[in-house]
Amino acid sequence: MKQEEVKLVEKTKKSYRVARPNQTGFSSPATHYTEPRIDLNDALIENPSSTFYVRVSDNSFSEFDIFENDVLIIDKSLTPKNNQLAVVVQAGCFQINRIDSDSKEEIQLWGVITYIIKSTL
Amino acid sequence: MIALVDCNSFYASCEQVFRPDLQGKPVVVLSNNDGCVIAANKEAKALAHIPMFQPVFKIKNILKANNVTCFSSNYTLYADMSQRVMDTLREFSPIVEEYSIDESFVDLSHYNNDELDEIAHKIKERVHKNTGVPVGVGVAKTKSLSKMANKFAKKIPENNGVFVVDSEEKRQFLLSSAKVKDIWGVGRKHTIRIENTGAKTALDFANTNLAWVRKELTVVGERLWRELNNLPCLELVTETSVKKGIGTAKSFGKKLADYSIISEATSFYVAEVADLLRQQGSAAGCIEVFLQTNYFSNSDNQYSNKIIITLDTPTNSTIKLTKEALKGLKKIYKPGYRYKKVGVNLFNLVPENQVQTSLFYEEHKSESKELGKVIDALNSKFGKNKVKLATVGNREKDWALIKEHRSPRFTTQWSELLTIGGKTSSIKL
Repeated sequence: MKQEEVKLVEKTKKSYRVARPNQTGFSSPATHYTEPRIDLNDALIENPSSTFYVRVSDNSFSEFDIFENDVLIIDKSLTPKNNQLAVVVQAGCFQINRIDSDSKEEIQLWGVITYIIKSTL
Repeated sequence: MIALVDCNSFYASCEQVFRPDLQGKPVVVLSNNDGCVIAANKEAKALAHIPMFQPVFKIKNILKANNVTCFSSNYTLYADMSQRVMDTLREFSPIVEEYSIDESFVDLSHYNNDELDEIAHKIKERVHKNTGVPVGVGVAKTKSLSKMANKFAKKIPENNGVFVVDSEEKRQFLLSSAKVKDIWGVGRKHTIRIENTGAKTALDFANTNLAWVRKELTVVGERLWRELNNLPCLELVTETSVKKGIGTAKSFGKKLADYSIISEATSFYVAEVADLLRQQGSAAGCIEVFLQTNYFSNSDNQYSNKIIITLDTPTNSTIKLTKEALKGLKKIYKPGYRYKKVGVNLFNLVPENQVQTSLFYEEHKSESKELGKVIDALNSKFGKNKVKLATVGNREKDWALIKEHRSPRFTTQWSELLTIGGKTSSIKL
Protein backbone atom coordinates (compact mmCIF):
# COMPACT_ATOMS: atom_id res chain seq x y z
CA MET A 1 0.00 0.00 0.00
CA LYS A 2 1.39 3.36 -0.98
CA GLN A 3 0.92 5.97 1.66
CA GLU A 4 -0.82 8.55 -0.51
CA GLU A 5 -3.26 6.08 -2.00
CA VAL A 6 -4.26 4.59 1.28
CA LYS A 7 -5.67 7.89 2.43
CA LEU A 8 -8.29 7.69 -0.26
CA VAL A 9 -9.75 4.43 1.02
CA GLU A 10 -13.25 5.09 2.15
CA LYS A 11 -14.47 3.73 5.44
CA THR A 12 -17.35 1.37 4.79
CA LYS A 13 -20.62 2.31 6.32
CA LYS A 14 -21.91 -1.08 7.20
CA SER A 15 -25.57 -1.76 7.21
CA TYR A 16 -27.34 -5.07 7.22
CA ARG A 17 -30.74 -3.49 6.73
CA VAL A 18 -32.82 -4.43 3.75
CA ALA A 19 -31.87 -2.05 0.98
CA ARG A 20 -34.57 0.28 -0.16
CA PRO A 21 -35.10 -0.32 -3.89
CA ASN A 22 -33.52 2.47 -5.94
CA GLN A 23 -34.74 1.26 -9.28
CA THR A 24 -37.10 3.56 -11.02
CA GLY A 25 -38.57 0.94 -13.34
CA PHE A 26 -38.62 -2.66 -12.29
CA SER A 27 -37.67 -3.04 -8.66
CA SER A 28 -34.51 -5.06 -8.24
CA PRO A 29 -34.95 -8.79 -7.69
CA ALA A 30 -31.95 -8.47 -5.34
CA THR A 31 -33.76 -6.22 -2.90
CA HIS A 32 -33.84 -8.72 -0.05
CA TYR A 33 -30.43 -10.18 -0.76
CA THR A 34 -28.04 -7.25 -0.40
CA GLU A 35 -25.20 -7.37 2.11
CA PRO A 36 -22.47 -4.93 3.06
CA ARG A 37 -19.34 -5.29 0.94
CA ILE A 38 -16.35 -7.14 2.38
CA ASP A 39 -14.42 -5.06 4.87
CA LEU A 40 -10.80 -5.97 5.62
CA ASN A 41 -11.24 -4.85 9.22
CA ASP A 42 -13.56 -7.81 9.81
CA ALA A 43 -10.94 -10.30 8.73
CA LEU A 44 -7.72 -8.70 9.92
CA ILE A 45 -8.58 -6.90 13.13
CA GLU A 46 -9.92 -8.89 16.01
CA ASN A 47 -9.17 -6.42 18.80
CA PRO A 48 -9.30 -2.83 17.53
CA SER A 49 -8.34 -1.29 20.86
CA SER A 50 -5.05 -3.19 21.01
CA THR A 51 -4.17 -3.21 17.31
CA PHE A 52 -1.36 -1.02 16.00
CA TYR A 53 0.19 -0.60 12.56
CA VAL A 54 3.91 -0.32 11.93
CA ARG A 55 5.76 0.36 8.68
CA VAL A 56 9.05 -1.35 7.91
CA SER A 57 11.71 1.05 6.70
CA ASP A 58 14.35 -1.29 5.23
CA ASN A 59 15.17 -4.90 4.35
CA SER A 60 16.87 -5.87 7.59
CA PHE A 61 14.06 -8.30 8.49
CA SER A 62 14.27 -10.19 5.19
CA GLU A 63 14.85 -13.48 7.04
CA PHE A 64 11.16 -13.29 8.01
CA ASP A 65 10.11 -12.35 4.47
CA ILE A 66 9.42 -8.86 5.73
CA PHE A 67 10.68 -6.16 3.39
CA GLU A 68 10.88 -2.43 3.04
CA ASN A 69 7.53 -0.62 3.04
CA ASP A 70 5.56 -3.61 4.36
CA VAL A 71 3.00 -2.72 6.99
CA LEU A 72 2.75 -4.97 10.02
CA ILE A 73 -0.52 -5.41 11.84
CA ILE A 74 0.25 -5.92 15.50
CA ASP A 75 -2.07 -7.03 18.27
CA LYS A 76 -0.67 -6.16 21.68
CA SER A 77 -3.34 -8.12 23.55
CA LEU A 78 -2.10 -11.52 22.31
CA THR A 79 0.37 -13.80 24.04
CA PRO A 80 2.67 -15.21 21.38
CA LYS A 81 2.79 -18.94 20.67
CA ASN A 82 5.78 -20.87 19.44
CA ASN A 83 6.97 -19.87 15.97
CA GLN A 84 4.82 -16.74 15.79
CA LEU A 85 6.35 -13.43 14.81
CA ALA A 86 6.48 -10.62 17.30
CA VAL A 87 7.81 -7.11 17.63
CA VAL A 88 10.08 -6.99 20.64
CA VAL A 89 12.23 -4.37 22.31
CA GLN A 90 15.96 -5.03 22.54
CA ALA A 91 18.24 -2.48 24.15
CA GLY A 92 15.62 0.19 23.62
CA CYS A 93 15.15 -0.63 19.94
CA PHE A 94 12.31 -2.33 18.10
CA GLN A 95 13.22 -5.69 16.57
CA ILE A 96 11.31 -8.58 15.03
CA ASN A 97 11.63 -12.03 16.59
CA ARG A 98 10.33 -15.48 15.81
CA ILE A 99 9.12 -16.79 19.15
CA ASP A 100 10.94 -19.89 20.36
CA SER A 101 9.10 -21.23 23.38
CA ASP A 102 12.08 -23.45 24.30
CA SER A 103 14.40 -20.50 24.54
CA LYS A 104 15.35 -19.41 28.04
CA GLU A 105 16.25 -15.98 26.82
CA GLU A 106 13.97 -13.32 28.20
CA ILE A 107 12.32 -11.05 25.68
CA GLN A 108 10.49 -7.80 26.10
CA LEU A 109 7.38 -8.22 23.99
CA TRP A 110 5.79 -5.19 22.28
CA GLY A 111 3.14 -7.03 20.30
CA VAL A 112 2.36 -10.08 18.18
CA ILE A 113 2.39 -9.64 14.40
CA THR A 114 -0.91 -10.96 13.07
CA TYR A 115 -0.68 -9.92 9.41
CA ILE A 116 1.81 -8.38 7.00
CA ILE A 117 0.47 -6.07 4.32
CA LYS A 118 2.59 -6.13 1.18
CA SER A 119 2.26 -4.31 -2.07
CA THR A 120 2.88 -6.46 -5.12
CA LEU A 121 3.27 -3.53 -7.44
CA MET B 1 -18.25 -1.36 44.14
CA ILE B 2 -16.61 1.22 41.90
CA ALA B 3 -13.09 1.29 40.48
CA LEU B 4 -11.26 4.47 39.59
CA VAL B 5 -8.70 3.68 36.92
CA ASP B 6 -6.15 6.41 36.35
CA CYS B 7 -3.35 6.34 33.77
CA ASN B 8 0.13 7.04 35.15
CA SER B 9 1.61 10.26 33.71
CA PHE B 10 -0.69 9.68 30.75
CA TYR B 11 0.76 12.00 28.10
CA ALA B 12 4.33 10.93 28.79
CA SER B 13 3.28 7.27 28.88
CA CYS B 14 1.61 7.59 25.45
CA GLU B 15 4.86 8.93 24.02
CA GLN B 16 6.91 6.18 25.63
CA VAL B 17 4.78 3.39 24.11
CA PHE B 18 6.32 4.29 20.76
CA ARG B 19 9.75 5.18 22.12
CA PRO B 20 11.11 2.17 24.05
CA ASP B 21 14.50 3.88 24.07
CA LEU B 22 13.03 6.30 26.62
CA GLN B 23 12.09 3.64 29.14
CA GLY B 24 13.06 4.72 32.62
CA LYS B 25 14.16 8.12 31.35
CA PRO B 26 12.73 11.54 32.17
CA VAL B 27 10.07 12.73 29.72
CA VAL B 28 8.01 15.92 29.77
CA VAL B 29 5.19 17.11 27.54
CA LEU B 30 4.79 20.78 26.70
CA SER B 31 1.60 22.77 26.44
CA ASN B 32 0.15 24.01 23.18
CA ASN B 33 2.71 26.27 21.57
CA ASP B 34 5.48 24.62 23.57
CA GLY B 35 4.90 27.30 26.20
CA CYS B 36 5.32 25.37 29.43
CA VAL B 37 5.62 21.91 30.90
CA ILE B 38 2.18 20.38 31.45
CA ALA B 39 3.06 16.76 32.14
CA ALA B 40 6.03 14.82 33.39
CA ASN B 41 6.67 11.16 34.05
CA LYS B 42 7.90 9.96 37.40
CA GLU B 43 11.54 10.07 36.35
CA ALA B 44 11.16 13.73 35.39
CA LYS B 45 9.22 14.48 38.56
CA ALA B 46 12.06 12.93 40.55
CA LEU B 47 14.22 15.78 39.28
CA ALA B 48 12.62 18.04 41.81
CA HIS B 49 13.96 21.18 40.21
CA ILE B 50 11.71 20.95 37.16
CA PRO B 51 8.87 23.25 38.07
CA MET B 52 5.57 22.40 36.39
CA PHE B 53 3.66 25.06 34.50
CA GLN B 54 6.80 27.15 34.14
CA PRO B 55 7.51 28.77 30.81
CA VAL B 56 9.90 26.50 28.97
CA PHE B 57 12.36 29.23 28.10
CA LYS B 58 13.01 29.72 31.83
CA ILE B 59 13.96 26.09 32.45
CA LYS B 60 15.47 25.10 29.12
CA ASN B 61 18.90 24.64 30.64
CA ILE B 62 17.69 22.40 33.43
CA LEU B 63 15.89 20.19 30.93
CA LYS B 64 18.95 19.94 28.77
CA ALA B 65 21.37 19.29 31.62
CA ASN B 66 19.25 16.42 32.88
CA ASN B 67 18.73 14.86 29.47
CA VAL B 68 14.98 15.30 29.70
CA THR B 69 13.17 14.48 26.44
CA CYS B 70 10.56 17.12 25.58
CA PHE B 71 7.50 16.48 23.45
CA SER B 72 5.04 19.00 22.10
CA SER B 73 1.53 17.90 23.01
CA ASN B 74 0.12 15.42 20.52
CA TYR B 75 -3.55 15.45 21.52
CA THR B 76 -4.53 13.42 18.46
CA LEU B 77 -2.43 10.55 19.75
CA TYR B 78 -3.50 10.98 23.38
CA ALA B 79 -7.19 10.99 22.46
CA ASP B 80 -6.85 7.75 20.51
CA MET B 81 -4.80 6.05 23.24
CA SER B 82 -7.37 7.22 25.79
CA GLN B 83 -10.15 5.61 23.74
CA ARG B 84 -8.18 2.36 23.66
CA VAL B 85 -7.85 2.41 27.45
CA MET B 86 -11.58 3.09 27.93
CA ASP B 87 -12.52 0.35 25.44
CA THR B 88 -10.34 -2.12 27.32
CA LEU B 89 -12.11 -1.17 30.56
CA ARG B 90 -15.43 -1.99 28.90
CA GLU B 91 -14.30 -5.61 28.73
CA PHE B 92 -14.74 -5.65 32.50
CA SER B 93 -17.97 -3.74 32.89
CA PRO B 94 -20.82 -2.37 30.79
CA ILE B 95 -20.85 0.83 32.86
CA VAL B 96 -17.80 3.03 32.44
CA GLU B 97 -17.76 6.74 33.18
CA GLU B 98 -15.09 8.50 31.13
CA TYR B 99 -14.25 11.10 33.73
CA SER B 100 -11.32 12.73 31.96
CA ILE B 101 -8.86 11.84 29.22
CA ASP B 102 -6.89 9.65 31.63
CA GLU B 103 -9.38 8.69 34.35
CA SER B 104 -12.44 6.44 34.34
CA PHE B 105 -14.88 5.16 36.92
CA VAL B 106 -15.80 1.52 36.32
CA ASP B 107 -18.85 -0.09 37.88
CA LEU B 108 -17.84 -3.44 39.40
CA SER B 109 -21.08 -4.25 41.20
CA HIS B 110 -21.47 -7.50 39.26
CA TYR B 111 -18.39 -9.00 40.95
CA ASN B 112 -18.29 -10.60 44.39
CA ASN B 113 -16.43 -8.78 47.11
CA ASP B 114 -13.75 -11.46 47.36
CA GLU B 115 -13.02 -11.30 43.61
CA LEU B 116 -12.35 -7.58 43.57
CA ASP B 117 -8.68 -7.66 44.41
CA GLU B 118 -8.02 -10.10 41.58
CA ILE B 119 -10.20 -8.11 39.15
CA ALA B 120 -8.44 -4.87 40.03
CA HIS B 121 -5.06 -6.45 39.27
CA LYS B 122 -6.43 -7.92 36.05
CA ILE B 123 -7.68 -4.50 34.93
CA LYS B 124 -4.27 -3.04 35.57
CA GLU B 125 -2.45 -5.79 33.68
CA ARG B 126 -4.89 -5.94 30.76
CA VAL B 127 -4.83 -2.20 30.10
CA HIS B 128 -1.05 -2.17 30.23
CA LYS B 129 -0.73 -5.18 27.93
CA ASN B 130 -3.30 -3.99 25.36
CA THR B 131 -2.22 -0.38 25.14
CA GLY B 132 1.20 -0.09 26.76
CA VAL B 133 -0.16 2.52 29.15
CA PRO B 134 0.39 1.83 32.88
CA VAL B 135 -2.55 2.51 35.20
CA GLY B 136 -3.40 2.56 38.88
CA VAL B 137 -6.64 1.12 40.24
CA GLY B 138 -8.55 2.12 43.37
CA VAL B 139 -11.68 0.22 44.32
CA ALA B 140 -14.24 1.20 46.96
CA LYS B 141 -17.93 1.47 47.65
CA THR B 142 -18.24 5.10 46.57
CA LYS B 143 -16.68 7.33 43.94
CA SER B 144 -15.00 9.58 46.49
CA LEU B 145 -13.44 6.64 48.30
CA SER B 146 -12.28 4.97 45.09
CA LYS B 147 -10.65 8.20 44.02
CA MET B 148 -8.75 8.34 47.29
CA ALA B 149 -7.95 4.62 47.10
CA ASN B 150 -6.42 5.24 43.68
CA LYS B 151 -4.17 8.00 45.03
CA PHE B 152 -3.16 5.72 47.86
CA ALA B 153 -2.48 2.84 45.47
CA LYS B 154 0.11 4.94 43.69
CA LYS B 155 1.60 6.58 46.77
CA ILE B 156 2.74 3.44 48.56
CA PRO B 157 5.04 1.30 46.35
CA GLU B 158 4.00 -1.95 48.10
CA ASN B 159 0.45 -1.48 46.82
CA ASN B 160 1.74 -2.04 43.32
CA GLY B 161 -0.73 0.42 41.89
CA VAL B 162 -3.83 -1.30 43.27
CA PHE B 163 -5.79 -0.64 46.45
CA VAL B 164 -9.15 -2.22 47.20
CA VAL B 165 -11.23 -0.92 50.10
CA ASP B 166 -13.08 -4.16 50.79
CA SER B 167 -13.27 -3.95 54.57
CA GLU B 168 -14.06 -1.42 57.27
CA GLU B 169 -10.45 -1.63 58.52
CA LYS B 170 -9.14 -0.67 55.12
CA ARG B 171 -11.58 2.23 54.83
CA GLN B 172 -10.43 3.60 58.18
CA PHE B 173 -6.81 3.01 57.26
CA LEU B 174 -7.23 4.84 53.95
CA LEU B 175 -9.03 7.81 55.49
CA SER B 176 -6.63 8.11 58.40
CA SER B 177 -3.69 8.30 55.99
CA ALA B 178 -5.18 11.19 54.02
CA LYS B 179 -5.19 14.81 55.07
CA VAL B 180 -8.35 16.90 54.89
CA LYS B 181 -7.07 18.72 51.83
CA ASP B 182 -6.62 15.39 50.03
CA ILE B 183 -10.33 14.62 50.15
CA TRP B 184 -11.65 14.62 46.60
CA GLY B 185 -13.67 17.76 45.95
CA VAL B 186 -12.74 19.70 49.07
CA GLY B 187 -11.51 23.17 48.20
CA ARG B 188 -9.22 25.41 50.16
CA LYS B 189 -12.03 27.27 51.93
CA HIS B 190 -13.70 24.12 53.20
CA THR B 191 -10.35 22.61 54.17
CA ILE B 192 -9.73 25.54 56.51
CA ARG B 193 -13.22 25.35 57.94
CA ILE B 194 -12.92 21.61 58.57
CA GLU B 195 -9.44 21.89 60.04
CA ASN B 196 -10.64 24.62 62.39
CA THR B 197 -12.76 21.99 64.11
CA GLY B 198 -9.57 20.16 64.99
CA ALA B 199 -9.91 17.56 62.26
CA LYS B 200 -6.58 16.57 60.74
CA THR B 201 -7.31 13.54 58.61
CA ALA B 202 -10.08 12.55 56.23
CA LEU B 203 -11.16 10.06 58.89
CA ASP B 204 -11.65 12.85 61.42
CA PHE B 205 -13.91 14.56 58.92
CA ALA B 206 -15.84 11.36 58.23
CA ASN B 207 -16.39 11.00 61.98
CA THR B 208 -17.61 14.59 62.40
CA ASN B 209 -21.18 15.15 63.46
CA LEU B 210 -23.39 15.23 60.36
CA ALA B 211 -25.50 18.09 61.68
CA TRP B 212 -22.41 20.30 61.83
CA VAL B 213 -21.40 19.28 58.28
CA ARG B 214 -24.87 20.07 56.96
CA LYS B 215 -24.92 23.43 58.64
CA GLU B 216 -21.40 24.56 57.80
CA LEU B 217 -20.66 22.92 54.47
CA THR B 218 -24.16 22.66 53.00
CA VAL B 219 -25.40 19.85 50.85
CA VAL B 220 -22.09 19.48 48.99
CA GLY B 221 -20.25 18.78 52.23
CA GLU B 222 -22.94 16.39 53.34
CA ARG B 223 -22.65 14.46 50.11
CA LEU B 224 -18.92 14.13 50.62
CA TRP B 225 -19.34 13.10 54.23
CA ARG B 226 -21.77 10.39 53.17
CA GLU B 227 -19.50 9.19 50.40
CA LEU B 228 -16.58 8.84 52.81
CA ASN B 229 -18.87 6.89 55.13
CA ASN B 230 -19.61 4.29 52.46
CA LEU B 231 -22.97 5.77 51.48
CA PRO B 232 -22.92 6.29 47.69
CA CYS B 233 -24.31 9.69 46.63
CA LEU B 234 -22.57 10.18 43.30
CA GLU B 235 -23.71 7.97 40.47
CA LEU B 236 -21.67 7.00 37.47
CA VAL B 237 -22.39 9.35 34.60
CA THR B 238 -22.28 7.61 31.25
CA GLU B 239 -23.72 10.30 29.06
CA THR B 240 -22.05 13.63 28.65
CA SER B 241 -24.21 16.61 29.35
CA VAL B 242 -24.81 19.18 26.67
CA LYS B 243 -22.26 21.98 27.05
CA LYS B 244 -23.55 25.38 28.09
CA GLY B 245 -20.74 27.26 26.45
CA ILE B 246 -18.10 26.32 23.90
CA GLY B 247 -14.86 28.14 23.35
CA THR B 248 -11.33 27.99 22.13
CA ALA B 249 -8.32 30.23 22.53
CA LYS B 250 -4.83 29.53 21.42
CA SER B 251 -1.62 31.46 21.29
CA PHE B 252 -0.13 32.23 17.94
CA GLY B 253 3.10 30.57 16.95
CA LYS B 254 4.61 34.04 16.83
CA LYS B 255 3.42 37.50 17.67
CA LEU B 256 1.23 39.03 14.98
CA ALA B 257 0.39 42.62 14.23
CA ASP B 258 -1.42 42.36 10.91
CA TYR B 259 -5.21 42.40 11.04
CA SER B 260 -5.74 40.17 8.03
CA ILE B 261 -3.81 37.24 9.45
CA ILE B 262 -5.40 37.55 12.87
CA SER B 263 -8.79 37.50 11.20
CA GLU B 264 -7.85 34.27 9.42
CA ALA B 265 -6.95 32.63 12.73
CA THR B 266 -10.22 33.90 14.20
CA SER B 267 -12.18 32.41 11.30
CA PHE B 268 -10.42 29.11 11.83
CA TYR B 269 -11.38 29.01 15.51
CA VAL B 270 -14.97 29.98 14.76
CA ALA B 271 -15.18 27.03 12.36
CA GLU B 272 -13.85 24.73 15.11
CA VAL B 273 -16.33 25.81 17.76
CA ALA B 274 -19.24 25.96 15.32
CA ASP B 275 -18.52 22.36 14.39
CA LEU B 276 -18.72 21.34 18.05
CA LEU B 277 -21.92 23.34 18.36
CA ARG B 278 -23.57 21.45 15.49
CA GLN B 279 -22.30 18.14 16.82
CA GLN B 280 -24.23 18.61 20.02
CA GLY B 281 -27.25 20.00 18.19
CA SER B 282 -27.14 23.47 19.70
CA ALA B 283 -27.27 27.02 18.40
CA ALA B 284 -25.50 29.99 20.01
CA GLY B 285 -27.19 33.23 20.98
CA CYS B 286 -23.96 35.08 21.77
CA ILE B 287 -20.43 35.10 20.48
CA GLU B 288 -17.44 36.58 22.27
CA VAL B 289 -14.15 37.43 20.62
CA PHE B 290 -11.08 38.44 22.57
CA LEU B 291 -7.62 39.52 21.63
CA GLN B 292 -4.49 40.01 23.71
CA THR B 293 -0.81 40.79 23.56
CA ASN B 294 1.81 38.76 25.40
CA TYR B 295 1.64 39.76 29.06
CA PHE B 296 4.88 37.88 29.76
CA SER B 297 6.77 40.30 27.58
CA ASN B 298 8.38 43.37 29.10
CA SER B 299 9.33 44.95 25.80
CA ASP B 300 5.89 44.95 24.12
CA ASN B 301 3.13 47.46 24.63
CA GLN B 302 0.23 45.71 26.28
CA TYR B 303 -3.35 45.70 25.09
CA SER B 304 -6.23 43.33 25.43
CA ASN B 305 -9.90 43.63 24.76
CA LYS B 306 -13.00 41.58 24.22
CA ILE B 307 -16.40 42.03 22.71
CA ILE B 308 -19.63 40.12 23.12
CA ILE B 309 -22.04 40.12 20.23
CA THR B 310 -25.65 39.12 20.72
CA LEU B 311 -27.09 37.53 17.62
CA ASP B 312 -30.59 38.47 16.53
CA THR B 313 -31.36 34.77 16.18
CA PRO B 314 -29.37 31.90 17.70
CA THR B 315 -27.46 30.07 15.01
CA ASN B 316 -24.89 27.35 14.45
CA SER B 317 -24.00 28.38 10.93
CA THR B 318 -20.24 28.76 10.51
CA ILE B 319 -20.84 31.44 7.92
CA LYS B 320 -23.10 33.57 10.11
CA LEU B 321 -20.92 33.12 13.19
CA THR B 322 -17.77 33.98 11.24
CA LYS B 323 -19.38 37.12 9.87
CA GLU B 324 -20.34 38.30 13.36
CA ALA B 325 -17.02 37.34 14.93
CA LEU B 326 -15.04 39.26 12.33
CA LYS B 327 -17.26 42.31 12.78
CA GLY B 328 -16.43 42.09 16.50
CA LEU B 329 -12.73 41.56 15.89
CA LYS B 330 -12.61 44.65 13.71
CA LYS B 331 -14.01 46.72 16.58
CA ILE B 332 -11.50 45.58 19.19
CA TYR B 333 -8.43 45.33 16.96
CA LYS B 334 -6.02 48.22 17.33
CA PRO B 335 -3.05 48.58 15.02
CA GLY B 336 0.42 49.00 16.46
CA TYR B 337 0.41 46.06 18.85
CA ARG B 338 1.95 42.63 18.51
CA TYR B 339 -0.77 40.17 19.44
CA LYS B 340 -0.18 36.80 21.04
CA LYS B 341 -3.59 35.27 21.33
CA VAL B 342 -7.10 35.36 19.93
CA GLY B 343 -10.08 33.42 21.26
CA VAL B 344 -13.70 32.74 20.49
CA ASN B 345 -16.44 31.74 22.94
CA LEU B 346 -20.06 30.85 22.26
CA PHE B 347 -22.73 31.42 24.91
CA ASN B 348 -26.49 31.27 25.42
CA LEU B 349 -26.70 27.92 23.74
CA VAL B 350 -30.15 26.58 22.91
CA PRO B 351 -31.22 23.36 21.21
CA GLU B 352 -31.14 24.04 17.49
CA ASN B 353 -34.70 22.79 16.97
CA GLN B 354 -36.02 25.26 19.52
CA VAL B 355 -34.60 28.42 18.01
CA GLN B 356 -37.04 31.30 18.29
CA THR B 357 -36.91 33.40 15.19
CA SER B 358 -37.87 37.02 15.20
CA LEU B 359 -40.84 38.30 13.28
CA PHE B 360 -38.80 39.61 10.40
CA TYR B 361 -36.37 36.72 10.33
CA GLU B 362 -35.47 35.50 6.92
CA GLU B 363 -32.97 32.72 6.54
CA HIS B 364 -30.16 33.69 4.27
CA LYS B 365 -29.27 30.98 1.78
CA SER B 366 -25.64 30.91 2.82
CA GLU B 367 -26.68 30.25 6.42
CA SER B 368 -28.95 27.34 5.66
CA LYS B 369 -28.71 24.16 7.67
CA GLU B 370 -28.43 22.10 4.51
CA LEU B 371 -25.27 23.87 3.41
CA GLY B 372 -23.78 23.39 6.87
CA LYS B 373 -24.60 19.71 6.77
CA VAL B 374 -22.95 19.26 3.39
CA ILE B 375 -19.79 21.00 4.58
CA ASP B 376 -19.68 18.89 7.75
CA ALA B 377 -20.23 15.70 5.77
CA LEU B 378 -17.41 16.56 3.36
CA ASN B 379 -15.03 17.43 6.17
CA SER B 380 -15.81 14.34 8.15
CA LYS B 381 -15.22 12.23 5.04
CA PHE B 382 -12.13 13.88 3.61
CA GLY B 383 -10.46 15.42 6.63
CA LYS B 384 -10.66 18.42 8.90
CA ASN B 385 -10.95 21.77 7.12
CA LYS B 386 -10.93 20.36 3.60
CA VAL B 387 -13.88 22.64 2.90
CA LYS B 388 -13.59 25.99 4.62
CA LEU B 389 -14.55 29.61 4.26
CA ALA B 390 -12.22 31.83 2.28
CA THR B 391 -11.87 34.00 5.40
CA VAL B 392 -9.80 31.20 6.96
CA GLY B 393 -7.21 31.78 4.28
CA ASN B 394 -4.20 29.67 3.52
CA ARG B 395 -1.57 30.97 5.89
CA GLU B 396 -2.13 28.65 8.84
CA LYS B 397 1.59 28.03 9.17
CA ASP B 398 2.09 31.73 9.86
CA TRP B 399 -0.06 31.72 12.96
CA ALA B 400 -0.43 28.09 13.97
CA LEU B 401 0.93 26.81 17.23
CA ILE B 402 4.54 25.88 17.44
CA LYS B 403 4.83 22.13 17.81
CA GLU B 404 8.48 21.69 17.23
CA HIS B 405 8.75 18.41 19.09
CA ARG B 406 5.46 16.76 18.24
CA SER B 407 5.65 13.01 17.79
CA PRO B 408 3.94 11.45 14.76
CA ARG B 409 0.23 10.67 14.94
CA PHE B 410 1.07 6.96 15.00
CA THR B 411 -2.46 5.63 15.29
CA THR B 412 -4.54 7.90 13.09
CA GLN B 413 -2.45 8.74 10.01
CA TRP B 414 -1.11 6.23 7.49
CA SER B 415 1.59 8.71 6.58
CA GLU B 416 2.83 8.94 10.19
CA LEU B 417 3.03 5.27 11.20
CA LEU B 418 5.69 4.05 13.54
CA THR B 419 8.55 2.79 11.40
CA ILE B 420 10.96 0.04 12.34
CA GLY B 421 14.09 -1.14 10.64
CA GLY B 422 17.48 -2.62 11.34
CA LYS B 423 19.70 0.02 12.81
CA THR B 424 17.53 3.02 13.37
CA SER B 425 14.49 1.37 14.81
CA SER B 426 12.97 4.24 16.63
CA ILE B 427 12.05 7.66 15.49
CA LYS B 428 14.45 10.39 16.34
CA LEU B 429 12.78 13.71 16.56
